[in-house]
Amino acid sequence: MAVSAQYVARETATNLWRNRLMTIAAILTVAVSLSLVGVSLLLRQGVAQATSQWQHGVNVLVFLDPTTPVPTTPTAQQHTIDQQLTQLPYVKSCTYSSQAADYAQAKRLLDPSAASVLSVATTPASWRCVLSQPSEAAAVARQFTGFPGVDGQVQYPQKAIRTMETVVHVLDAVFLVLAVILLLSAAVLILNTIRLAIFARRREVSVMKLVGATNWFIRIPFMFEGIVQGVAGAAVAVLVTIGLHAVLDHFAGHDVNSLLYDMRTPAPEVAMTVVLVAVIGVVIGAAGSAIGIRRFLDS
Amino acid sequence: MIRFENVTKAYKAGTVAVRDVSLDIDKGEFVFLVGPSGSGKTTLIRLLLREETPDQGRIWVAGREIARLSPWRIPYLRRNIGCVFQDFRLLPNKSVFENVAFALEVIGRPRHVVESQVPQVLDLVGLGKKRDSLPGELSGGEQQRVAVARAFVNRPLLLLADEPTGNLDPATSQGIMKLLDRINRTGTTVVIATHDAGIVDQMRRRVVELHRGELVRDQERGVYGYGT
Repeated sequence: MAVSAQYVARETATNLWRNRLMTIAAILTVAVSLSLVGVSLLLRQGVAQATSQWQHGVNVLVFLDPTTPVPTTPTAQQHTIDQQLTQLPYVKSCTYSSQAADYAQAKRLLDPSAASVLSVATTPASWRCVLSQPSEAAAVARQFTGFPGVDGQVQYPQKAIRTMETVVHVLDAVFLVLAVILLLSAAVLILNTIRLAIFARRREVSVMKLVGATNWFIRIPFMFEGIVQGVAGAAVAVLVTIGLHAVLDHFAGHDVNSLLYDMRTPAPEVAMTVVLVAVIGVVIGAAGSAIGIRRFLDS
Repeated sequence: MIRFENVTKAYKAGTVAVRDVSLDIDKGEFVFLVGPSGSGKTTLIRLLLREETPDQGRIWVAGREIARLSPWRIPYLRRNIGCVFQDFRLLPNKSVFENVAFALEVIGRPRHVVESQVPQVLDLVGLGKKRDSLPGELSGGEQQRVAVARAFVNRPLLLLADEPTGNLDPATSQGIMKLLDRINRTGTTVVIATHDAGIVDQMRRRVVELHRGELVRDQERGVYGYGT
C-alpha cells in the first residue's frame, strides 16, 4: 500500500511538535550518549596515534668496542654489522653515530663531573636502530650481544617498552569497552523514550488499527520521528566530538614533548568517527521506533 | 454476510466467553445482540474484527474465512467493517473533520476523495456545522455521531456497534439509533451489541440473545425481554 510522502511528513512534523517534551528528551539522550561514544572513540584514536608516535622513537643501541681503532668511518667489520642489522626483519633503519658524535652527546646528557672521565677515544661509536616492531627489541639485542666488534651489552629500553605496551593495551580496551557500554545504554534509553512516546499515543494507534491501517502505515511515521530524533542527537554529538578534537589540537599546540601533541589525530580519522556517530544515531532512531511500536501492532 | 459455525472462545483464565455459537446474518440485516454483561457480546464483536481468534469453529465475513487470515490481511478485513464503541474512541486533539478524514487517510485514499466524502458524511450525521470543533467541545451524543461518521465514511459492508448508547441518555440514544437505521437502509449490514432494552423494544428488529456465552434466542422482530 502506498504511504504518501505528504502524509508521513505532516504526521511526523505534527507528532514531533505535539510531543515536543518527549522529542527533546529523546534528542538529548541521543546527544549525550553519542557524544560520550564519540569522545571515547576519539580518545582511543588518540592513544593509538600516540603509541605509533612513541614507537618511532624506540631504539636499539649497538655500541661498538672503542678499543677497535675506528675514528670516523665504519670499517669492514662495522659494515657487516650494518648489513646484519638492516637484514633483520624487525629493523626499520639504522644510523651510525661516530665516537665524536657520541662523545658530544654524552657531554650534553651527563653532568660535567661524569663527562670529564670520558674522552673521544674511550667513547664507543654506536648504531642506533629504529624497529618496526618494538616488542622485538629483545630478540634484536640478543642477536648482537657478543658479536665481534660489539662492545658487551646491546642496550634497549626493555622495561619502558613493556610498560608502554601494557598501558596502551589497557587504555585501548578501556575505551573500547566504554564506547560499547555507552552505545548499549544509549540504545536502551532511546528505545525507552520512544516506547514512552508511543505509549502516550496508543489510543491513536488503536484507532488506526481499527480503521484498517496497515502495520507499515502505522510504523513509518514513528520511524521517521525516531530518525529525526536520532539525527538531531547525532548532530549535537558530532559537534561535541569535533569541538573536543579542536580543543585538544589547540592545547597540543606545537609542543613536541607534550602527550597531547602525540595524541593529535589526523582529520580523516576524526571524520570516520563523526560519520560512525551519525550513522549510529540514524540506526538507533529507526530501530528504536520499530521495536518500540512492535507490541502495539498485530503480530 | 456473517456466519459463525460452532464457534467457541475461552480466555486464558479459563472463562468460556463464547460456547458453540452458530449464527447466520444476511447482507443488509439489522441485528441486536443482547444479553447481560459477560454474556459474550463483546467477544463476538472482537472475533468479527479479528482482534481475537476462535479456539474452535469457523467464522466467515463477506465470504472470507477470517480465523485463518494471515496477519497482513487483517487491515483489509477491517476496511470492510465500520466500528462504533461505547467510549467513542475519537482522537481528542484532532477536529471533527480530521477525525473522520483520518479513517480515509489511513487507508491511503487520495485528498480529493477525503475532501468530498467527509463533508457528505458529516451532513448525514447532522454535524456539518461542527466540522472544526474538537471532540471535547461536543456533547456525548455529538461525539458518538462523529464516531458513526468515521465508521461509515468508507462505506463499509458491515457496521458493528458495541454498546453505542451506553453513555447516552434515552433521547440522545434514540437519535443515534435513527442514524444507524438510516445507514442500514443504504444496504449496510448493522450489528449492535447492547443491553439497552429501551432501544431494542422500540426498533423491533432481529434479536439474538446470549447467556453465559451460549446463544439462547434468535427472534425476528424481537424485543429485549424474554417471551413478550
